[in-house]
Amino acid sequence: MKIQIRHALTTGIVSAIVLIFLVLIGFHATAADLIGSLLDFRTGAPVFGLTPLMINMLLLFTIIGIWNGARGAKCHEPDSLSKSLVGGLVAGITAGVLFGLLAYIIGLLNEMGVRITLYLASLIPASVRLFLLNLEPVQAGIFYLVFLMITGLIGALFAYSIRSTSSKRSVKDLWGDVTAPVTRQPAYRTAMASRYTKLVFYAILLIIVFLLPLRLGQYWNYTIGTVGIYVLLGLGLNIVVGLAGLLDLGYVAFFAIGAYTAALLTAPQPHNLQWGFWTVVPIGLVLAAFSGILLGIPVLRMRGDYLAIVTLGFGEIIRILSRSDMLASFSGGPRGVTNVAGPTLFGQRFNSPEAFVYLILLSCLLIIFVTNRLKNSRVGRAWIAMREDEVVAQASGINILTHKLLAFAIGAAFAGLGGVLFASRNAFTGPEDFSLMVSINVLALVIVGGMGSIPGVIAGAFVLKGLPEVLRQLDVYRVLFFGGLLVIMMIIRPEGIIPSTRRKLELKEDQEIEPDPAHPESTSVEVADNVVQSDLQGQEK
Amino acid sequence: METTVSGRTTRKTFSAYKIIQTIIGILFGGYLVWRLISIFILNPVYGADTWMRFTISGLVLGSVYALVAIGYTLVYGILFMINFAHGDVMMIGAFGGYFVFEALDTIEVNSGGQVMPFLDANPILSVILAFIIGIGVASASGYYLERLAYRPLRGAPRLVPLISAIGASIFLQNAAQLLFGSQRRDYDNPAVLNRNAGINIPVGDGTVVLTYTGIFTIVLTIIILVSLYMFVQRTRFGRAMRAVAENKPVAALMGIDVDAVISRTFIISGALAGAAGVMWGIHLALVYYFVGFLPGIKAFTAAVLGGIGNLPGAMLGGLFLGVVEALGPAILGISFQLKDVIAFGILVLILIFRPTGILGEVLSEDKV
Repeated sequence: MKIQIRHALTTGIVSAIVLIFLVLIGFHATAADLIGSLLDFRTGAPVFGLTPLMINMLLLFTIIGIWNGARGAKCHEPDSLSKSLVGGLVAGITAGVLFGLLAYIIGLLNEMGVRITLYLASLIPASVRLFLLNLEPVQAGIFYLVFLMITGLIGALFAYSIRSTSSKRSVKDLWGDVTAPVTRQPAYRTAMASRYTKLVFYAILLIIVFLLPLRLGQYWNYTIGTVGIYVLLGLGLNIVVGLAGLLDLGYVAFFAIGAYTAALLTAPQPHNLQWGFWTVVPIGLVLAAFSGILLGIPVLRMRGDYLAIVTLGFGEIIRILSRSDMLASFSGGPRGVTNVAGPTLFGQRFNSPEAFVYLILLSCLLIIFVTNRLKNSRVGRAWIAMREDEVVAQASGINILTHKLLAFAIGAAFAGLGGVLFASRNAFTGPEDFSLMVSINVLALVIVGGMGSIPGVIAGAFVLKGLPEVLRQLDVYRVLFFGGLLVIMMIIRPEGIIPSTRRKLELKEDQEIEPDPAHPESTSVEVADNVVQSDLQGQEK
Repeated sequence: METTVSGRTTRKTFSAYKIIQTIIGILFGGYLVWRLISIFILNPVYGADTWMRFTISGLVLGSVYALVAIGYTLVYGILFMINFAHGDVMMIGAFGGYFVFEALDTIEVNSGGQVMPFLDANPILSVILAFIIGIGVASASGYYLERLAYRPLRGAPRLVPLISAIGASIFLQNAAQLLFGSQRRDYDNPAVLNRNAGINIPVGDGTVVLTYTGIFTIVLTIIILVSLYMFVQRTRFGRAMRAVAENKPVAALMGIDVDAVISRTFIISGALAGAAGVMWGIHLALVYYFVGFLPGIKAFTAAVLGGIGNLPGAMLGGLFLGVVEALGPAILGISFQLKDVIAFGILVLILIFRPTGILGEVLSEDKV
């Protein structure tokens, strides 16, 4: 009982901190708006003095409150109903007291006429009024205490009922049960084993991808274009980080070099060269690759952390230089370069986002093809060997120097291509497009998707660049979310959403690999062997 | 061909890397010497007083870097990871101090017959309070940072905690931006620590102002660093820390609670960063969510410069970096906008030529 109460107390405090943090960054107002637009419940007469916006906000708090109660009720051994309820109640009261205190304090400050926005920038008066539900400070505090207490109890009941009805079964098992009638069919198995299924699947996917831009409007095509450019960047960084294991935080520098190459050679402003788009593409690629080698040479001996910091330094140097007045006559200075030319085809200019989407999609396909071939080639295996253990790789006859430089060069070339496309699509480029955040975004999408895995990178780009566009209201919180996601991802799933097989095994090294049910006697070594064999088979194809 | 003492013959190898290293070294060194000669002898642009002013501001900034750098060094010495979020811990400390000053400024007290803010009535007490709160929040965030973002990853491949640290850094920065806004805030110093007041020293033709805040920063830094050094070298806990840095399994066998030592190390490094943050606020005034980023990177540079894992090295590295950053643009004849480029450039050069730093021990390959 004592342990249970302590556990519930901790849960309550954690939930209260989460709630307080969300309110202080003004998330409750944004979320209320978002929930309103999702449920299509934004206007209407107040119910019990609560406007629709307030009800939406309380919906958010309800979810957190129920989660809080359910967590508080959960403890080590299977408990009775009363114990569960006590746990939920304690967690609810703890969170409620702290959260109610916040409401009381904010209400008092609001009544005293303190300008809260001066210190807490996100707590604008409208958000404060929403949070206080038009109540007196004391009333609001008590309301939240009771509210969290009740939701805590509901959560406890919820947790208890789930535990008593179903034993510990994961979602994966449930999904397996649902799909069992299909997966058990012999026809399904032969279909899955055939390589044509995969081809048909990819063909369908391709057709969908190429038909989609016709149906979408300008805004969505623009968004898809952005995602596509990030896929390019992600695939490039995937080679450097995922395959060769070199953590590069200055990746944006190559993106910038590609973009500036396109801008300076095609734009009328600083140099008036006005070259064509198609001439600039190979130049941008080569220049970026060359700068990749230039960066690679001094950092050849470094690994891990040092490499990260030095590349970060390089990226910042490029940005500061492009922003400085010293190079303003050369690179347009802080105001950037405008009127970057778009591509022409058979004498026709195509600058619309719809047309650009196809260009970007085609480059993505090309790069995916190249990456796929590289990954299973001699070079790709050399990179992976280098990532695993540099000394052993060297002893096995791999030239570390050339392969590292090759990784930097190819990764940089992909980014250069992305940069050229980016600059000519936006018809503009400036130093603020190339902040450290771009590097971090790309790194985040590679890691979240799964290091070393091509579908992973694409999925990562959609999740991290596409999703925030869908949830526009949450844009302010996007970067915060990225940061948290990186940490959480590293703790619970370091291999990413769609990991490559090798990476998965590598990171789960300490855990016992479950023996194959078909061969109960096979050991983990054999499983690993199987994986290696399937890898080899993949290469033969 | 050379013959070594043992009689075996070894061939002296010229790797491509060595050749490039030498070329870069000669180019850079030659340019530096030429600039030095031209700026001091051929056409002196600045008088002695200007150089003095640059040096002083560099020393003050350098002492803040030194404090932050020691946090990096302590953590790196024990966990061999770059605590990427360390600069943001400093930012949290700076905000802590800022809010103390703001709060004390609104409290009115009656002192000597006239009503004045608490801040001006009791300046020493206010500054001490600001430091206590700043250090407190910073060391708490250091502790929880380790607890939440790093401890679950112990024993994972080295990229994993680094990425987690980057994530934590982004999270802290953006949380601060969302909480406190993007505007730059000025520390409301007590009247005694006015940022413009100071001792006038006559140098050459003019006078140089040695500000009180500058003196305060340097003196406090030296006190903190000396006591930290004594703490690490003389106390039982310092010994445990050094043991854990040397070899974790053996330290655990000797009855040292390794996790507790790591936690406390993070608390200490957070406290130092918090003190640095408050000093930053008092001396330079500017506090905003991004304030920790550049000093953090520069302090890391300083730590590498002095040899990472080495306490006196971090201090020397910090002071050196501060001075070089202040003098660099003038010596190299480039715009002051580019002074951050100098810090990054030094980092790159050091890592190319001497990754072990000035005072660093020779690290084994896998540490670098």
